[in-house]
Amino acid sequence: MSTSEPRCQSCRHFTRAAAELEALLPGLRTLSSAYAAVRSGDGLCSVHDRYVAAYSHCAAHAQQRPSQSAELTG
Amino acid sequence: MTHIAEHTSRAVVPRETLWGELIHKEDWWAIWIGLGLIVVAAALFVDGGTLKWIAVAPLRWSQPTQVATQLREHWTQYTALLVLWAVLFGIGASGLRIKLTQFLPAFVVLYVAALGLYFLGQWNQAAHYNLEPPLVALALGLLLSNTVALPQWLSSGLRVELYIKTGIVLLGASLPLTLIAWAGPVAILQASIISLVTFAAIYYTSKRLGLDPRLAAVLGTGGAVCGVSGAIAVAGAVGAKKEHVSIAISLVVLWAIVMIFALPLISRDLGLSTGVAGAWIGTSEFADAAGLAAAQTYGGYAGNVPGIAGSADAAVNAFTLMKVIGRDVWIGVWAFVLSIVAISRWESTGVRTKAGAGEIWRRLPKFVLGFLLASVVITLVTRGYSYADYKKSVLPGLVAPLQVFRVWALTFAFLSIGLTTRIRDFAAIGTRPFYAFTVGVVINVILGFILSTQVFGAFWTRLGQ
Repeated sequence: MSTSEPRCQSCRHFTRAAAELEALLPGLRTLSSAYAAVRSGDGLCSVHDRYVAAYSHCAAHAQQRPSQSAELTG
Repeated sequence: MTHIAEHTSRAVVPRETLWGELIHKEDWWAIWIGLGLIVVAAALFVDGGTLKWIAVAPLRWSQPTQVATQLREHWTQYTALLVLWAVLFGIGASGLRIKLTQFLPAFVVLYVAALGLYFLGQWNQAAHYNLEPPLVALALGLLLSNTVALPQWLSSGLRVELYIKTGIVLLGASLPLTLIAWAGPVAILQASIISLVTFAAIYYTSKRLGLDPRLAAVLGTGGAVCGVSGAIAVAGAVGAKKEHVSIAISLVVLWAIVMIFALPLISRDLGLSTGVAGAWIGTSEFADAAGLAAAQTYGGYAGNVPGIAGSADAAVNAFTLMKVIGRDVWIGVWAFVLSIVAISRWESTGVRTKAGAGEIWRRLPKFVLGFLLASVVITLVTRGYSYADYKKSVLPGLVAPLQVFRVWALTFAFLSIGLTTRIRDFAAIGTRPFYAFTVGVVINVILGFILSTQVFGAFWTRLGQ
């Protein structure tokens, strides 16, 4: 299988950091959390305005800057 | 991987590094903290020691002077316990990349408030005035967070899920593996019935009202499986709109908080036993933290409210078996199945994804593993003891201190729920999603009551004894 298509997790339009997600989705931390295992690596796509899995991909992918990659986990 | 998914994407799902998963997810921190305490307690017990000194808790009181006396006599223990919790949760917060300079002061405030609540719960008139600590914590937190501008740094210490998951792992120490094996299948059967019916009710009502199928699925899972956690897991798997997630969060939080108050009070009026009420709460509450608040409230009625049969722990035990074993562990399966449906049946979103069975493990609420491991550890350590010896030495020397730790962890969580619930932050829900979700709530509550009191009533009553 090919690995050529870049995934959302490396896209600059993808917000995955837990603290940012909790700020963007008010109420998330009341009875759940962006640090929960069930979230896996999901995040928000600002191009499609969707909450998507980290391993998704699309035609609008834009590689993130190197400084962003360090902030991805969480 | 499915045939459909292979056509949709040829990409390989990158693995999260194991190390990253272990230190950046609170499920794992709940396991390290909860299981760590259990292992230390078990090792000490085997060696003839105990954690009793530091597992300090307020005793029953009737006069305020008795509170002052207790604090004067045990202040070193309360201080040591604060330091222990601050170190454990501080390390966890650090792993989650929460600033310690903000977390620690916030945690001290939370601990002092929890101490006050713990004392309130030990007042001999508390049950008479409906002053059960979880309900007071929630009401007080809701009042404060919605009327006063709380300082930003305080929110760093309000980690509901970290505390609740640690409490659930510690709860595993009170449930022998044999009990989990005996009650687990019934819990799974009852939970499967309620989950499928509730999901179908919300999903098809949503569809009839013309809502997007992704929103219908997110709402359905939020109501049927595991509240906000279920909703976000499925939202990610199907690629729901951001506003769908916000709507689901608002609806789940709204109804979960209503149920924290409603289910214990209705159960009390009906005189349900603690085991039966715990099963009903586990069937009809939407979130673990909210359900534990309701179940612990009801457990507090045992021995304090006339006509409530069963032990105090039975409500929390039945709730946990029903909610954690019966419903939570299936989140990954729901996400996997719905991701296949999304790819194969629903309109494309422009974002391509894949559906693989790996979803089941990735989205497994890992703290459940800690809960089961805790039960294994205690079962192994206590095997060979007669019931009399268990009551005489194991219970006070090993299990009781862990139960005290559990109550503290849950109290931190109950306070955090109210203090993080800001009604003004709720998304505009809209009439149709509200109506669809509410249909599911009504069906869930009625069916949950019938299953818990009639169909499996004798089973849950026996568990409570």
